[in-house]
Amino acid sequence: MPKKISLRGTFVNGILAENPTFRLVLGTCPTIAVTTSAINGVGMGLAATFVLIGSNVVISMLRNFIPNKVRIPAFVVVICTFVTMIQLFMQAFMPSLYDALGIFLPLIVVNCIILARAEAYASKNPVLASAVDGLGMGFGFTLAMLLMGSVRELLGNGSIFGLNLLGASFEPALLFILAPGGFLIYGLLLGIINGLGNRRKHNKAIKEVKAA
Amino acid sequence: MKKFTFRGGIHPLHDLHEGKEVTRMQPIKPYVPQSVCIPVNMHIGAPSKSIVAKGDHVLLGQVIAQAMGGIGIPVHASVSGEVTEVAQKQMLGTVPSTCITISNDGLDTWTTLAPLGNVEQAAEDRIIPAIQAAGICGMGGACFPTHVKMSPPADRKIDTIILNGAECETFLTADFRLMVENPGRIVDGLRAAMRAMGVSRGLIGIEDNKPEAISAMQQAAQGRLGVEVKVLKTKYPQGGEKQLITALTKRQVPSGGLPCDVGVVVLNVATAAAIADAVIEGKPLISRVTTVAGAVKDPGNLLLRIGTSFHDAIEACGGYIETPGKIFAGGSMTGNCAPDDSVSMTKANNGIVVLNEKDAALTAESQCIRCGRCIQSCPAYLNPYQMHVTYALGKVDELEKQHVLDCIICGACSYVCPAHRYLTPAFKDAKDLITARRASK
Amino acid sequence: MTLRVSTGPHILTRENTQTLMLDVLIALAPATAAGIFLFGLRAAWVLCVAVVAAVVSEYAWQKLMKKSVTVHDLSAVVTGLIIGLNMPAGAPLWMPAIGSIAAIILVKQLFGGMGHNFMNPAMVARAFLLASWPARMTTFLLPERLLGSTQASLGVDIISGATPLVSQKLGISSGVPLSDLFLGNIPGSIGEVCKIAILIGFLYMLVVKAISWHVPVFFLGSVALMTWLIGGDPLVALLSGGVLFGAVFMATDYVTNPMLRVGQAVFGIGCGLMVVIIRSWGAYPEGVTYAILFMNCLTPLIDRFISRKVYGMVKKNA
Repeated sequence: MPKKISLRGTFVNGILAENPTFRLVLGTCPTIAVTTSAINGVGMGLAATFVLIGSNVVISMLRNFIPNKVRIPAFVVVICTFVTMIQLFMQAFMPSLYDALGIFLPLIVVNCIILARAEAYASKNPVLASAVDGLGMGFGFTLAMLLMGSVRELLGNGSIFGLNLLGASFEPALLFILAPGGFLIYGLLLGIINGLGNRRKHNKAIKEVKAA
Repeated sequence: MKKFTFRGGIHPLHDLHEGKEVTRMQPIKPYVPQSVCIPVNMHIGAPSKSIVAKGDHVLLGQVIAQAMGGIGIPVHASVSGEVTEVAQKQMLGTVPSTCITISNDGLDTWTTLAPLGNVEQAAEDRIIPAIQAAGICGMGGACFPTHVKMSPPADRKIDTIILNGAECETFLTADFRLMVENPGRIVDGLRAAMRAMGVSRGLIGIEDNKPEAISAMQQAAQGRLGVEVKVLKTKYPQGGEKQLITALTKRQVPSGGLPCDVGVVVLNVATAAAIADAVIEGKPLISRVTTVAGAVKDPGNLLLRIGTSFHDAIEACGGYIETPGKIFAGGSMTGNCAPDDSVSMTKANNGIVVLNEKDAALTAESQCIRCGRCIQSCPAYLNPYQMHVTYALGKVDELEKQHVLDCIICGACSYVCPAHRYLTPAFKDAKDLITARRASK
Repeated sequence: MTLRVSTGPHILTRENTQTLMLDVLIALAPATAAGIFLFGLRAAWVLCVAVVAAVVSEYAWQKLMKKSVTVHDLSAVVTGLIIGLNMPAGAPLWMPAIGSIAAIILVKQLFGGMGHNFMNPAMVARAFLLASWPARMTTFLLPERLLGSTQASLGVDIISGATPLVSQKLGISSGVPLSDLFLGNIPGSIGEVCKIAILIGFLYMLVVKAISWHVPVFFLGSVALMTWLIGGDPLVALLSGGVLFGAVFMATDYVTNPMLRVGQAVFGIGCGLMVVIIRSWGAYPEGVTYAILFMNCLTPLIDRFISRKVYGMVKKNA
């Protein structure tokens, strides 16, 4: 019997329980490539959120019309549309961010998060729920990108959002702005977050057993 | 002189001369106890059946338990006197067995003996039955009935008999003293075996840490047809029969096979001496040389009657220096631990070693550092590191594929491991598990 | 009396992990002494900080994770010392500290502690520091004191601080006499310059059987052979940079080496080839770090495919 989840539950799910970066481990390519600074990370997160909400809504609206056999190409066409929209928007109004994100902006088309949510949620759920799911997932993704970007920028450049926080005598470790550092920080954050999450679940389960 | 050896191996207690320093120059001392307690299952195979009862008077060398089946061997009284008890007792075996206790009347009256005469003249076809009648089994530790070993299947042609004078185990000097003091008897036994099996080549392998034994045996072998003494490099486990065969003949015993598959029969030097006693004097196996070493006041080599308790043997060597922590039968690499000192020594007991409490303490395991010393030392060319990882994961099928059944449980890998991992117990357990599984199929 | 009953062997070797690590430390002593002699007191400080940071981070981690503390097996000391010996003498003291912490916690403890690191921790630390602070890690100072030669006899390039390998990469002949390469009168990291000290350590480890000769000999042999094949000077190649130190102390880490001798030979050859490839055609003047890390990752593969014939795998007689 599928659990009826509230809209609020759907939204929070995308941030915590099914955080696309730290729980579902989807979209790792842009996660590692783009989080060389906090602003880049947040920019990518917001762009992906826009695409996610848009594609989720449209796919949900068309879910009863798209034949099952051609659903993937159909989803990709929808996603491409929204990516093109955000790409043109950023090129016009945020040229420096557009340059910073480079190839990864059009690569949002193949970002696993968007296709996965389209396949797993939007194609099976009504429009409002899909929109909220997109918002939640996108928000979760953006928060994760913010965290990764901040850590990497702080360790690798001594700043967050361009503000030099650690003073002139701090010699930043360049590794963290490079790919190996990205993998390292991602792995460590995955470990810490899942470790803490598991411990919370473990303690909660113990409490439930004790109460029973 | 050319020295033979095998691949792998270790030098345990090398800085302490393999623990043999104290006892190697001690001549064999006979010791006769006041009573003996003889188990009927000393040999591999069905236990013999007791044919005496409490109150019976027995003579020295009288059969007190008869052989069961064609491959069994009889058990003889090792003292003359009265049978005081026939009961189930826990000895060194895994399960309790019937034990016959005889109170020694001190007279050593022999029963009627049936000697065959000089080994070069005795009738060849009567030698092997005489060996069975004398209750001889492998005295190097395994205690497999010798007459069975000397009667391989008809399709196995034997061309060499090897006498195992390696005595590679730590602490043991019993075979060494026997070779120094009674080399003629050993060569006689070899000649008897060669004639009985129609074999023309007899090799005696002796490790090079026993130069006195080498020269004594070389002298005794002079003029004896087909008998040669070969010197082996001192390395553990040179005395393992597979390693001995490969060192001296370059042949490898096939996995799951026996030495007779490569045309060889291996006998311990003490077994050879017992064969000579049986053929020349008709005497059954009622005593053997045992090294008593370790934390005792007067370590030495005793000629003990079969069934002498460990307690009596240790008392004959001055008794314990302090409260013992561990007593084992054999050397420190493969010795069988005794639960207490009331157990009897058997036909296969070549050593009784006492360790004080400090030395008997269990060493803690630490993490494996993949140093590979276990692999370099394995005389069966196995990969103990890999087998132990598989064992820890519980994958018994995988272990069979990794040839754990070819492990000879020599303990070399465990000895040499810097992390003191419990390797040998793991492989012993694995072998038992797999053998039990195969038997139940 | 209560007797212990257990399966043999009943007496074990007196060697344990601690004695093995102690042997490695003794083997490192000549290189340490030479490094301190050549580069002065600041080198000693770098080494101290590296060792202390390694030991403290291992102790702290094991206490935090409620595991049994194993710092007494001296493996953290060895890792710390090797990290220190890989640093340039002028490194600020926080660098070896961070390197040690990264090596012990990231590479060793996170993967399961002693015996479970999949790459050499000291090598990863070096790579980590090299990628994070490239300028600091490649600024090598001249030795303060020299062994057997005078300042005047050194070549022009030495005074500018470029190591012989850097000069080689730039295509300039460094003009350093072999004796200086051998004794260590050149810029470089603390432990890698004095080749004679490294060789003494190597001989010691061979004599006490702490390591086998296969990995270092095949490593150095393939460096020499490949260098000769591409037209370089094999002796200069062996005496330049960190290849001697790497082959003797870093490629021979037990945990990341293949288990069988044949596998170790393959490992050594792979390392040697990679070093020459990186030196000749790669972006870096020295390739030892990445060569060894690369081969460390291949070790499980080598172990899987190289096995030896078990005793008795012969046809049974009919």
